[in-house]
Amino acid sequence: MSTITVESLPGLDCGACGFRTCATFAEALPARPELLQRCIYLTEGATAQPVVSAPALAVLNDAQNAPVVCAARSPQVRAPAAPDAWRDSLDREFDFYLDHFPDEPGPREIILPHNPLITRELAVKPGDVLIGRPLGMSCGCPITHCGVATQVDERTGVIVWCVTGPLRPRAEGFKDLGYYIAEGYEGLVRKKRCELRIGMRYYFQPTMCMLQWRHSGLLNYLNRLGDTLQVRVEGLWIG
Amino acid sequence: MNRGIYLDNAATTPLDPRVREAMLPYLEEVYGNPSSLHWAGRQAREAVSKARARVADLLHARPGEIVFTASGTESSNLALIGVCEAAGVVGGHVITSAIEHPAVLETCRYLENRGVAITRLGVSREGIVDANELREALQRPTQLVSVMTANNVAGTLQPVGELGRIAHEYGALFHTDAVQAVGKIPIDVTAQPIDLLSFSAHKLYGPKGVGALYVRTGVRLAPFVHGGGQERGLRSATENVAGIVGLGRASEIASAERADEAVRLVRLRDRLIESVLSLAPQQAYLIGHRHQRLPGHICLGFSGLEGDAVKLLLALDAADIAVSTGSACSANHGAQPSYILQAMGYDVVQARGSLRVTLGRFNSEADVDEFVKVLPDALRLLSPLVTIGTGMAWKGRR
Repeated sequence: MSTITVESLPGLDCGACGFRTCATFAEALPARPELLQRCIYLTEGATAQPVVSAPALAVLNDAQNAPVVCAARSPQVRAPAAPDAWRDSLDREFDFYLDHFPDEPGPREIILPHNPLITRELAVKPGDVLIGRPLGMSCGCPITHCGVATQVDERTGVIVWCVTGPLRPRAEGFKDLGYYIAEGYEGLVRKKRCELRIGMRYYFQPTMCMLQWRHSGLLNYLNRLGDTLQVRVEGLWIG
Repeated sequence: MNRGIYLDNAATTPLDPRVREAMLPYLEEVYGNPSSLHWAGRQAREAVSKARARVADLLHARPGEIVFTASGTESSNLALIGVCEAAGVVGGHVITSAIEHPAVLETCRYLENRGVAITRLGVSREGIVDANELREALQRPTQLVSVMTANNVAGTLQPVGELGRIAHEYGALFHTDAVQAVGKIPIDVTAQPIDLLSFSAHKLYGPKGVGALYVRTGVRLAPFVHGGGQERGLRSATENVAGIVGLGRASEIASAERADEAVRLVRLRDRLIESVLSLAPQQAYLIGHRHQRLPGHICLGFSGLEGDAVKLLLALDAADIAVSTGSACSANHGAQPSYILQAMGYDVVQARGSLRVTLGRFNSEADVDEFVKVLPDALRLLSPLVTIGTGMAWKGRR
């Protein structure tokens, strides 16, 4: 490689290469030429030296060195955005959004730990903060979830919880379920693109899913609350 | 008061005691309104003026080119909306990148709804905008190009000099969101093709609630806060005198100490990166460019463990180490897209499972050592998504 001299360095003595000055950096280069990639200026585009240039738009003769203020013009509002495309983050279609109950801290899920006895071993009770990852026959989600238990069935190990995100376990501590199966979701349907019928399987988008992946499941409960539907979905899969 | 190890300096920085000391008189005995003509007003006015000069010095700007705002976000709003409204909104064109902070991206969306065409440039795997893609986008008449100096998640530095020059070649103004970069790498607006630059005090060891916008002399900007005409009519409102004094002092300290601090932080950063990569050579990966990054900024992923990042966060919490990670599904943040790392080509699970460790002025070598010591145990608590070749390979203490 060509010899780098202190003159060919930017001369900013910025320290971002880990050397205090361009001169000390230049001294280290012959022995360790690979250091050159540490210069954030030499590797920026093709030019080492910052180049002076004037603003290209609307340069005015302004004797007071002040920004030029001009009156705002009335914005013309464009047509509203296209209607919902009913597609998830992987561009797959779905039929409805599943929202959580507004008076609950997060989406309501019915879950079963892979070892159901752990519900008793950990003495899980309503109000406990829990974490665990859905595994296998429970949609296949790769993300560890956090939530707060709302109902506990000691006999079967089934827990109803509301998924709340990581703030609660950080603040309050938690019990770790390990792996669990997501057996069912309950929530509200406010936006749908077709009529929903009990007994049918649907693709749907849980509004709070951080991956925004569509899920599918069997609608086995449906209650009309005006324009809103209260539903329960079981037999869950992602995709 | 919790005195754990704070490694989240990209979120915000602690207030430098020297900044606090400079601010105190302006929270107590100096209470005048800078617009008042009497002695009390004059005291406040002089303080604001002195602070403006110090902020300008940090950027090699003229004091008259600094507009104080309430945040970096407000500064970027003023830059983007101000340029478009001054130029006439309808039919305008703004180019930005896909990895900007919401302060820019959401403002672009706002402008888009008002008739401005927006082009969002993609980035490389390392998070760098392609100059050729910018040239292509500039084939259409463009008022403004806005690309951040340093990314807030990956820490990658953009070639703003090159991008600004290209913008100017095509007759567009160049704005950069430099919230993460000011005070950490040199910025010289007399030498760099930057027309507008946003930054904030609280990323610079100053107070929250005050920011600034550099507006190159001659750039036409329309205000959106109307009132008493402060800040040369660009941002009406009685000045946040104590905050502005704090930003001034923070800028002065940064001007004097930035280079020494960069050398120290680069050493700590590289020590941390190398330690983590050697602890878990099969799993750990660095996100963003190895060298084209902010001096104290590290963004890491752990292959197969990304979905369990919440547990990693909880384990680091237990060790009183504050870092940042993508959150899990939650009522608060559930549907927020992990758009930055996805734009860099990471999948959605990787994007939400990254760990951002950002070092700052008050971090020591001991903080890095403690992090490196705690990490293997924290990782061992996680449940790898795959069973072969993960989980068992951790070196370090057990």
